Amino acid sequence: MSRGPQVGVYVCHCGGNISDVVDVEKVAAELAKHPDVKVEKSYAFMCSDPGQQLIIEDIRSEGIDRVVVAACSPALHEQTFRSALQRAGLNPYLYENVNIREQVSWVHKGNHESATAKAIRLTRAGVEKVSRQDPLEAIRVNAEPRVCVIGAGVAGMRAALAAAKRGLPVTLIDKADRVGGHLLELDVVYPTGEKAADLIDELEHEIAGEDRIELLLDADVEGVDGYVGSFTVQVAARGEGADRREIKAGALIVATGFSHYEPHAGEFGYGQDVVPEVLTLPQFNSLLRGDAGDYLRVGGRDVRNVALIHCVGSRQTPGVHEPQPDGKVNDYCSRVCCTAAFHTVNRLLDRFPAVQVYEVYKDVRTYGRGHDELYEQASKKGVLFFRYDDEGLPVVVDGKLRVRDWLTWGEEVEIPVDLVVLVTGMMPGDASKLIGSMKLPAGADRFLQEVHPKLRPVELANNGVMIAGTAQGPMDVLESCAAAEAAAGKAAILLSRGSIELDPFVARVRAEECDGCEKCLGECEYKDALTMRTRPEGGPKLAVVNAALCVGCGACVAVCPTRAIDLAGWSLDQFDAMVDALVAEVV
Amino acid sequence: MTCDALVVGAGIAGLQASLDLADQGKRVLLVERQPSIGGHMINLSKVFPTLDCASCITTPRMASVAHHPNIEMRTYTEVDRIEPVGDRFRARITQKPRFVDEGLCIGCKRCEEECVIYVPDEYDHALGCKKAISIPFTNAIPQLPVLDMDMCLLCGACAKACPTDAIDFRQQPITEEVEVGAVIVTTGYETTPMDAKKQYGGGVLPNVISPFQAERLLAPHGPYGGVMRPSDGKIPSSVAFVQCAGSRDASLGVPYCSRVCCMYAIKQAMLMSGSLPVADITIYYMDIRAFGKGYEQFYQNAKAMGIEFVKAKVAKISEDEEHGVKVRIERQDDGCRPEEVTHDLVVLSLGMVPAWVPSRDGIVPLEEETDRFLKTRSILTPSLTSMRGVFAAGTATGPKDIVDTIVEASAAALEVANYLESQLAGAAR
Amino acid sequence: MGQARLQYSSGTSIIRVPDPVLFPEAFYMRAFEKGVDGIIVMSSGSDCPYEGAYKRLSERIARVYELMREKGIDRSRLKLTTICTVCKAAFLKEIKEMQDNLAKQAAGAK
Repeated sequence: MSRGPQVGVYVCHCGGNISDVVDVEKVAAELAKHPDVKVEKSYAFMCSDPGQQLIIEDIRSEGIDRVVVAACSPALHEQTFRSALQRAGLNPYLYENVNIREQVSWVHKGNHESATAKAIRLTRAGVEKVSRQDPLEAIRVNAEPRVCVIGAGVAGMRAALAAAKRGLPVTLIDKADRVGGHLLELDVVYPTGEKAADLIDELEHEIAGEDRIELLLDADVEGVDGYVGSFTVQVAARGEGADRREIKAGALIVATGFSHYEPHAGEFGYGQDVVPEVLTLPQFNSLLRGDAGDYLRVGGRDVRNVALIHCVGSRQTPGVHEPQPDGKVNDYCSRVCCTAAFHTVNRLLDRFPAVQVYEVYKDVRTYGRGHDELYEQASKKGVLFFRYDDEGLPVVVDGKLRVRDWLTWGEEVEIPVDLVVLVTGMMPGDASKLIGSMKLPAGADRFLQEVHPKLRPVELANNGVMIAGTAQGPMDVLESCAAAEAAAGKAAILLSRGSIELDPFVARVRAEECDGCEKCLGECEYKDALTMRTRPEGGPKLAVVNAALCVGCGACVAVCPTRAIDLAGWSLDQFDAMVDALVAEVV
Repeated sequence: MTCDALVVGAGIAGLQASLDLADQGKRVLLVERQPSIGGHMINLSKVFPTLDCASCITTPRMASVAHHPNIEMRTYTEVDRIEPVGDRFRARITQKPRFVDEGLCIGCKRCEEECVIYVPDEYDHALGCKKAISIPFTNAIPQLPVLDMDMCLLCGACAKACPTDAIDFRQQPITEEVEVGAVIVTTGYETTPMDAKKQYGGGVLPNVISPFQAERLLAPHGPYGGVMRPSDGKIPSSVAFVQCAGSRDASLGVPYCSRVCCMYAIKQAMLMSGSLPVADITIYYMDIRAFGKGYEQFYQNAKAMGIEFVKAKVAKISEDEEHGVKVRIERQDDGCRPEEVTHDLVVLSLGMVPAWVPSRDGIVPLEEETDRFLKTRSILTPSLTSMRGVFAAGTATGPKDIVDTIVEASAAALEVANYLESQLAGAAR
Repeated sequence: MGQARLQYSSGTSIIRVPDPVLFPEAFYMRAFEKGVDGIIVMSSGSDCPYEGAYKRLSERIARVYELMREKGIDRSRLKLTTICTVCKAAFLKEIKEMQDNLAKQAAGAK
């Protein structure tokens, strides 16, 4: 014989905090009248050990199988009471925390009678909810103990090493034939002046010595299936007779990096056969690296005057700058270019002190530790500065650079130049296959978008997918390494226990009510969280929820015409019953 | 007491690092010198560039830390010494007396209600006051009052009012020795002193305020219930921000850039603009360093809102007979002439200096850079300090914003976890 | 809210929900039928972590307004706001406005 729910209601005095305003004895007495309530008690401090013991004993000896505690905010003690239920052998989700402190005694001090009446209504609502609550189990998905790192630039390498040292097997993939990413283009890095090649060697050496890291070069990621704990990464080797592989991983770290902004033909004279020569900063850095001569020569000519134009491809304004193929301009700041420019200029002037350098900038953004020093050094080495804005873009023509300079109250200045260097910004690297396959979110600036810049800065909305480095936005080596380690840490937290526990508050379908209309499918934004399956016995298709992919938003619940789908722990029946309890008169 | 890691400082860096370590099964001791965790972030109104409410995003972290089974908190506690002992560290920590018994207090605030003494409120940066015994601020964790013994009359009103007899006038500091495997320093920053640059009149002129005072004026339940100038409560019709008021200034001994002041000034300017729709708002700057994700767009929005950006290094600030603030600048447009502009309220965008310099007073000999923030070993591993087993994150290693701080904190947690594992592996051999 | 001890009317009850997009139009209409005088939906707005939920929520509320109009229920009895749990001033303001508004309507009806 099945009996109805046996609810235990416990009303807390909270040391006067509640009982000074709310008549707690009355609340308990009123709740005793509820048909589902078997036990009702009031006590001074429910959260204390003796308070918790009251509940545990009643579960064991009185057969209580649902618990309501009317006390302070769930933010404080919901976990406490859930654990108490667990200790008593009862499913921890058969518990409801009603707030009669922050929501009643602390905010309705003036009128004790109406405060008590409200406490009664809220507690009744809590009973209605918990009576309709089934036991819930946290959803466990197997965690494949492997991290797949996509991209082997400095961020990818750092992330792989960090994860491997944590004890996780790692597969590190890059489409190039060697590791290092854009670091391979550089001679020395700022602000330390270390050789980029040394940094790459250090990381490469460590990776080679780390048994847990499997390195796949010349390899393209074609797509990713699955979900957190069991991703399947499709990898195709490049070249003839392409080898295909499937890599199983529990977590992914996307470190696909950036690409240099490519100026449009004619942008500040770029890509045109003119004097002066116009190069981008990366091109100029390559040239400096290769050049061993005593004089700076570009395109067969001596260079005596170099002008650098900052913010090329960054801080753009619609209507002023030519947009990208997608119609948008790059309105963001590329963060690292000011410092990079001064770094290059200082080395240039150390080697060729006779060269005159002009920096044409918008704002000097040498923000970081050791960065302003580079600005100061450049200034001390005789660099001349001009400040421009979008209303007077510099013009390169006939061996001259013309700019309206705001450091000299808006004067139109003309500088003789043999070489113009465009300080170009960053755009995201190509991760289109990955983004398309997993529906990874990108921001308005096209870089991958983290879930929340402050609360979760290295995680993407896709559960189990982390991000590190410039795939997320412009940043330098130090910042990329910090992000890489943070991402590896998140992956480690996820995978450390062998299985991943997800909240049980996901959608559930009552098969007998589902008529296969597919309205729920239309509302779901999460790929594969909801699918329609054919029933073995025939009849209408059945909506099936993948608990590991469902985030529990409830969008599907709102549209189901037969109320076949509900959120576990937050069903519409529960809410309807709560509303009834809240409007009922308190006699 | 023995733990895996000691985290010094419970601002957002310390909170994040503690959570990440605790989630990996490590036992963490989190020590904080203030009576509540939350650092500077819980003191802010809104954060840039999203204009999220600062409390809304800090309190969940604070609550998670308070409830995590692997984290032990010691608030109102100083770290006296950290020394390496073999492969581990021994630390001596001292909890200062609150004069309230933690085990008995239920956070009912009766003591606060009954107390008769008012003291300046540090949370509101002396713009408001609170009782001599009070919980530091609404969302404080732990919700325990602290008695300011220097201002206390020992009248006993609080003790009489307390329902659980938790007031203890004779409470003593408690010193503990703890043994830990690793240390994370997340001790954060302080702003440069208001009166550092005499020419700016900070700390002397009543309507020249600090950025934290501006935060409190802008906060929804701030000390004045709105933006008013301190001298007479007038609602300002002209507000100015002075950038680099404590940075990029060799004469103050702070030649470096404090990285966040451009952004926080723009943020405050935008909030002021919302609060004072007809006021003129001006930012006097050297460079606008809006370099991060979403920052440039935030700056452009501010311009579009009508906030005036004037490139000018402020030379001198003085006041007129009504305490109006006179700002002397050299305009860089329109002929480069010097000018004096009067504003109702001026905010000095102060810079950052380290809050804890442990090499002084012999606490622990960590090396510093010339900027006096902690030295880190390599750009490839930004959380390693000069001492093996001691890591650092957040503004303890230099000025930075909240996003970079949180990332570094998670990075440091990862490094510590790896370090602890390697110690174990080493011990096993 | 409660931590700040700011007072408001006891006729207001707060229901904790995972995300307000969960509730179908029928839920709101049933609540009004059962005697609820006013409903304030406090969503996270653009901060909502669930993809597309806020857009769906606002479209749904628009449909509820239509149903309310058909049943002669005053539109002001349902309000969609973006307020988080720590934003005391905004919360108080919404509650007071709704309470004042309902009181006016009740007085007008007499």
